[in-house]
Amino acid sequence: MKKILQKPDIILTVAVIIISIFGILMIYSSSYVWAEYKFDDPFKYMKSQAMFFIIGVVLMYIVSRIPYELYRKYALVLLGSCMLLLILVIIPGIGTVRNGSRSWFGIGGFGIQPSEFTKLALIIFVAKYMSNYQKDIKTFKKGIVPILGITMLVFALIMLQPDFGTGVIIVMTIIALMYIGGVNMKFFIIAGIIGVLGAVGLIIIAPYRLKRIISFINPWEDPLGSGFQIIQSLYAIGPGGLLGMGIGESIQKHFYLPEPQTDFIFSIISEEFGFLGVAIVAGLLITIIYRGLKIAKNANDLFSKYIAFGITFGLAFQAILNLMVVVGLIPVTGVTLPFLSYGGSSLLITLVSIGILLNISRHTPNT
Amino acid sequence: MFQKAYNKRISIVLIVVIALFLLIIFKVGYIQLVDYKKLNGLATSLWSRNLPIEASRGLISDRNGVVLANNVTTTSLVIIPNQVENKEEVSKRLAEILGVSYDEMYKHVSKKTSIERVHPEGRRLSYEVADEISNLGFKGVYLVKESMRNYVYDKMLSHVLGYVGIDNQGLSGLELEYEEYLTGSEGAIKYFSDAKGSRLKLNEVYVQPQNGINIELTIDYDIQASVERELDNIVSKYNPNSALAIAMDPNTGEILAMSSRPNFSPSNYQDYTIEEINRNLPIWSTYEPGSTFKIITLSAALEEGVVDLLSEHFFDSGGVQVENARIKCWKAGGHGDQTFLQVVENSCNPGFVELGQRLGKEKLFSYIEKFGFGKKTGIDLNGEGTGILFKLDRVGPVELATTAFGQGVSVTPIQQITAVSAAINGGNLLKPYIVKRLVEPETGSIIKENKPTVVRRVLSTKTSEMVRFALESVVTNGTGRPAYIDGYRVGGKTGTAQKVNNGVYMVGNYIVSFIGFLPANNPKVVVYVAIDNPKGVTQYGGTVAAPVARTILQDAITALDIEKQEGSSEKKYQWNEIKIATVPNVIGMTKKEAISSLKGFTIEYSGSGDYVLEQSPSAGSRIFENGKVRVLLGNESGD
Repeated sequence: MKKILQKPDIILTVAVIIISIFGILMIYSSSYVWAEYKFDDPFKYMKSQAMFFIIGVVLMYIVSRIPYELYRKYALVLLGSCMLLLILVIIPGIGTVRNGSRSWFGIGGFGIQPSEFTKLALIIFVAKYMSNYQKDIKTFKKGIVPILGITMLVFALIMLQPDFGTGVIIVMTIIALMYIGGVNMKFFIIAGIIGVLGAVGLIIIAPYRLKRIISFINPWEDPLGSGFQIIQSLYAIGPGGLLGMGIGESIQKHFYLPEPQTDFIFSIISEEFGFLGVAIVAGLLITIIYRGLKIAKNANDLFSKYIAFGITFGLAFQAILNLMVVVGLIPVTGVTLPFLSYGGSSLLITLVSIGILLNISRHTPNT
Repeated sequence: MFQKAYNKRISIVLIVVIALFLLIIFKVGYIQLVDYKKLNGLATSLWSRNLPIEASRGLISDRNGVVLANNVTTTSLVIIPNQVENKEEVSKRLAEILGVSYDEMYKHVSKKTSIERVHPEGRRLSYEVADEISNLGFKGVYLVKESMRNYVYDKMLSHVLGYVGIDNQGLSGLELEYEEYLTGSEGAIKYFSDAKGSRLKLNEVYVQPQNGINIELTIDYDIQASVERELDNIVSKYNPNSALAIAMDPNTGEILAMSSRPNFSPSNYQDYTIEEINRNLPIWSTYEPGSTFKIITLSAALEEGVVDLLSEHFFDSGGVQVENARIKCWKAGGHGDQTFLQVVENSCNPGFVELGQRLGKEKLFSYIEKFGFGKKTGIDLNGEGTGILFKLDRVGPVELATTAFGQGVSVTPIQQITAVSAAINGGNLLKPYIVKRLVEPETGSIIKENKPTVVRRVLSTKTSEMVRFALESVVTNGTGRPAYIDGYRVGGKTGTAQKVNNGVYMVGNYIVSFIGFLPANNPKVVVYVAIDNPKGVTQYGGTVAAPVARTILQDAITALDIEKQEGSSEKKYQWNEIKIATVPNVIGMTKKEAISSLKGFTIEYSGSGDYVLEQSPSAGSRIFENGKVRVLLGNESGD
């Protein structure tokens, strides 16, 4: 089954590199005030991100040359070791706490988040499972139960950290994957309705929850509490206007917006580049997602199709979740923006995922 | 192909993803393009800090632009605690320089506020102290310009102007009354700061302060200065309980000068009692006016035609019996036989009682009210008094009699001068005022202007002319002589009022007053002077108040550039059969020469000799034809 490999998807590659470099620039612009204040080194975050980017690009290239079939073989090993890491990370003394979550392995000043790796491992595992049991997948017992079982196990481990954002992305990605695989969605629709009813029940029991949740609708009701981040985000986006305040000219990054280089980097981009910048960033993200889904569509086999879709959907879902928080469409969840937010291990794993996508693209006709 | 179904589902996901992205882009567009104004405004106010710049208070000047109250710029200390780096060091040095305790200064420097002022030690700093602070070069320590009220002539017009507190807020007088106009609005230097309060390297925005509106008064600086000087003289000469003077333009109601003693220094208002500051005596005090009030009785009698001043005679035996009371004339033994003009000249009380009785109480009191007594004049100053009149149903023959010569009524000085202005200006009662206009300082446009207001017509032109004639005669021939100014036709009336204490007239304690105006044929200025209990002097209006009024009138002549009145004006007074003639100078002449020069006058000699040493009235006086001229004879010609 020797086959002449195609060139990897060049548009995807270029888009990923441009957006990542732009991310590094924006991390510098948005973080130097905090970085100088905290570490006396304005380049602190930028240097770290740039280093991970270089490592990430190298890994992306290497991974793009590793035949994806290899993952089918090691799917269980990968997932198993990832879950082991997830267990290790919640043990005090091994995992370190950042921003209230024990999600990190601290390695010489850098943090590695095992949940990021687990997401990829789980996609590979489910992709393998669904492509192997293509026919049984439509049944509840052999389709939904095992996949959902393992997913909920992973979700539970992640919630022990706790890292709600990543957990939701993983669950949603797997559910989307099951939808693509042809799983009967009736179950999820029912589960969704039950979920909504449960949420309503919780709110009735404790109405303050509702107030906290809907604070994103009118953040000025509690400007120093639950509305604080949204207001500060809007104060960055709003004054940006059509063309922005100019690169480096954000005012909100001067301690007004907390940690502007992570969850709210898009606010600073909006402030400095205005609506035009927002449109360009959104364009790049849509290009990446479009190319990723196109690779999934063109995939030769179901396994690679599932992987390509899972990876792309994960990125898309995370991006949408982040952007909707930043612009005040949904409550604050604590999810970063792929490629752009500061976070070494996140960028690393994203670039590795793109590497896998590129490898898949090499096995498909580029038409 | 078997993958078709899968790819279809992928396409659906793609469409959903793109739809969500479009929703996000739409929301961003909404925030940045529709909500832009609102959010940008909110964000700018979040980012910017204001260093306030005080607006200059409006100037107060006289009618000719002489500035009475302006501002001097001082420097004040402002601390922005968030920007102060070394709080201990800064507190220590500032405490040393300002003479404040370290602990107190540290409290200021570390206060959780965006802008902190050190009050009062850090306000109105001297140049040296400000320089010292600015040389420290501390971050977060600012010196801002503040303007401080300056009263150019210190105590001058103090009651009218009032004073301001440390924050430049008007606390009395015009400063308080016109506070909203005078203040203007604060400006600021807006700079951008980060959330920790440090200054960002962004352009600061300068918001110019809007200076206050200027006030132009009707006051004439020269006349006011004269009034102040004369009142000071009175105080040092007679040490009275109080003294006051008003100068007014009788044709417009404009106050040309106004002052009283005790007064105060607005810059050092803390050194005075609240009574001293707030009691603007010319409009606040009420007392029995005494003989100056006879002008009102005279005017009423003339207007009603109950007396013929020139041909009717009145015999004053020294007193008159009214019911159970005997009303004495001020002159023991009485004035004997007089024309009613002489009654006025002599300020003869029984004569005025006669006039009052001829009028009857209804008529007399209706004129008193028409002249504005018993009611505020409506002058544009705070703290005006009302005065007290008898209730008409309580007025018996005695009350009628005393009111006719100015006892038993209580009036304010401003009512008095306003009423007399009406009597002499052709008969119009005016509303007095002191603020001429409010002027916007930048453009010079007039925001508000006061114009003469006729409250009502009280007398006919003819009667008013007659009143002027009679009052001129008082100065020429009667009790008002000390106010006589050579070449200028002065009219006037003295007043000596007993003061009432607990319903009893006090002995040897009078308010002496004089109201005078010139030129009598066409009055340009009227001056009222009242002195409460002058000591060490015979307490008569003629002897104490009239000379003071004379000096003020003389200064008013110069200030208002009033022309010397020449003979032509005499013709105006040729009504009835009476003629007025100017007394020539006979001093230094021989007796014979004098007799021929004084043809048409009755000469009364005193002393003996061939030469005239002294004459009275002096040369240039206008008296009735055949009027009395006294000459003092001596043996040598005067040198």
